[in-house]
Amino acid sequence: MSRTPIALHIFHWLFVLFMVAPLAVVVLVSFTDKGYISFPFDGASLRWFQAIWNQKSFIDSFWLSLALGATAATLAVVLAVPAAMAIAWHRFPARDLALALLMSPLMLPAIVLGIAILRLLSHLGMTGSLAGLVAAHMVVVLPYVLRLVIAAAAGYDHALSQAARSLGASAWAAFRRIELPQLVPGIAGGWIIAFVTSFDELTMSIFVSSAGTTTLPVRMYNYIANTIDPLLAAISTVLIALTLVLMIVLDRLFGLDRILGGKA
Amino acid sequence: MAFLKLESLRKAYGEFVAVKECSLSIGEGEFVCLLGPSGCGKTTTLQMIAGFVEPTEGRIILNGADITRLGPSKRGLGIVFQSYALFPHMTVAANVAFGLEMRAIAKRERRERVAHMLDLVRLDGFADRYPRQLSGGQRQRVALARALVIEPSVLLLDEPMGALDALLREEMQIELRALQKRLGITTIMVTHDQVEAMSLADRVVLLNNGSVEQVAEPFAMYEHPSGRFASTFLGKSNVLAGDVSGASVLVGDQELPADLAGMSGAVDYIIRPEKITFAAAGGLVRGQVTARVFLGDRWLYQLDTPVGPMQVIDTNVGLPKAVEGDAVGLVWAAENARVVARGAAS
Ligand SMILES: Nc1ncnc2c1ncn2[C@@H]1O[C@H](COP(=O)(O)OP(=O)(O)O)[C@@H](O)[C@H]1O
Ligand SMILES: [Mg+2]
Repeated sequence: MSRTPIALHIFHWLFVLFMVAPLAVVVLVSFTDKGYISFPFDGASLRWFQAIWNQKSFIDSFWLSLALGATAATLAVVLAVPAAMAIAWHRFPARDLALALLMSPLMLPAIVLGIAILRLLSHLGMTGSLAGLVAAHMVVVLPYVLRLVIAAAAGYDHALSQAARSLGASAWAAFRRIELPQLVPGIAGGWIIAFVTSFDELTMSIFVSSAGTTTLPVRMYNYIANTIDPLLAAISTVLIALTLVLMIVLDRLFGLDRILGGKA
Repeated sequence: MAFLKLESLRKAYGEFVAVKECSLSIGEGEFVCLLGPSGCGKTTTLQMIAGFVEPTEGRIILNGADITRLGPSKRGLGIVFQSYALFPHMTVAANVAFGLEMRAIAKRERRERVAHMLDLVRLDGFADRYPRQLSGGQRQRVALARALVIEPSVLLLDEPMGALDALLREEMQIELRALQKRLGITTIMVTHDQVEAMSLADRVVLLNNGSVEQVAEPFAMYEHPSGRFASTFLGKSNVLAGDVSGASVLVGDQELPADLAGMSGAVDYIIRPEKITFAAAGGLVRGQVTARVFLGDRWLYQLDTPVGPMQVIDTNVGLPKAVEGDAVGLVWAAENARVVARGAAS
């Protein structure tokens, strides 16, 4: 173990400060007792947290985003696992093309994707539907899941499958009992990143969501377009707190390095 | 009658032929080693028997039934992989029980058979460990127990000792041989280690470049190698290129004695280094010692002779023999020399 150079320490802490400072400001602002955003402020209160409960639409959007993220991430996993197994383990015609297509939502600007999906949905007569919103989110989060599951599949020893088969396992039994459990670290990491990405997605959702299906980021975006008050800071603070709790729980249970690194 | 029969097995990957032609009859309870240098097609042959590689041509007959097109899960063979391929997320007991579970064996019987098998490979007490908590030798024994617990008709092993250090390897070889004898299970083991093949196998199948070079019991193969390749891959040999001339073989302008049995033309004259002894005066050929290596129980000499460089192995009986620079005569008995037509086998 060599000692970390002092300059690296300084850089590290500057970087952390850079990342955390805006969050800290938002959290502090949310405790103001004023009706407008100001910082620093003199009187502290919880009135803006109380205000959240009177805004039923925000609560509804929160649950919608939660369900949407979970559904989109789960559907993406269901699609990404077989796709990753095929891509990581087999050579077939158009393999590279398939991979490029599945990863392409990462490369496209969200606004382009939003317009394109809106066009498609209106063609199908599905504009404003929940199914359309779920499908759109699934497409966007699929690359994240695919990448982590491919990484897990690439490190898989095929002799394990052969051993299972030689012991009498059908192809399905070998998948369920041996292959799938070996891919779980990649799947879990992929699911979490997919969920967070979907929960956070704004640009594309602006096009795809409707009055009945407004996700939390879209609701917040619409809100600040009209009003600027500390309500959004309070909502953000709640989200930051929830995220922090989730991260700590995950780290305690599995270790964040393991989940997000996609390693076994 | 042959228990397992390979009939003209061939495997081509596009233009490249990994196994050219492999025919083999294996008796019930026999221990056969597929021996050959890396890349000669040993694993491919084993994988065809296991059902993971489909032969381009040929048939595999197990106990009278053609299994060439049968899926690997239906063949009922036990396989030990070089990496052992233990299921990392399962305990030792669960690993061993897997094959029984796939056969829908009741839980109680399963537990008994697993316990018995772990006992057999001396791993009782390790049932609840995970593979990562085991040493290399223990892992190998789990792999063996997992393959054997399903009572396979044939046990296949692909370089099972490859990952073990020398000392452990020897121990595991003895253990494997004892277990195989005790269970009487037909066994095919792949190895590139000639010492391992000779010490374990009832019969050695020597492969070279995708073809069977020679099939024989270890002693017979050592004493009567089919040609240059067999004589140099299995042990050491002096291989001299010569021509039959009358009742002896002419190498350069030296006449060497041999039992020719009606051979003629260009031949390889093969003499093992340990069959040669030194003579102070005279000898079949005379040469000069260029180097010698002490190996504990024996000396290995390198000599320059009129028929080319030769090697001699001399048992260490406690007396100093020739040293570098000495001129010595070499003597051997005609019946210890083996003469094969050149190019008959590579
Ligand atoms: N799937 C494959 N595609 C193409 N060539 C292969 C494949 N599998 C094996 N080979 C080739 O076949 C030859 C024999 O391989 P293998 O049976 O693994 O040799 P060994 O086990 O004797 O070292 C090697 O040259 C190897 O590169
Ligand atoms: Mg091999």
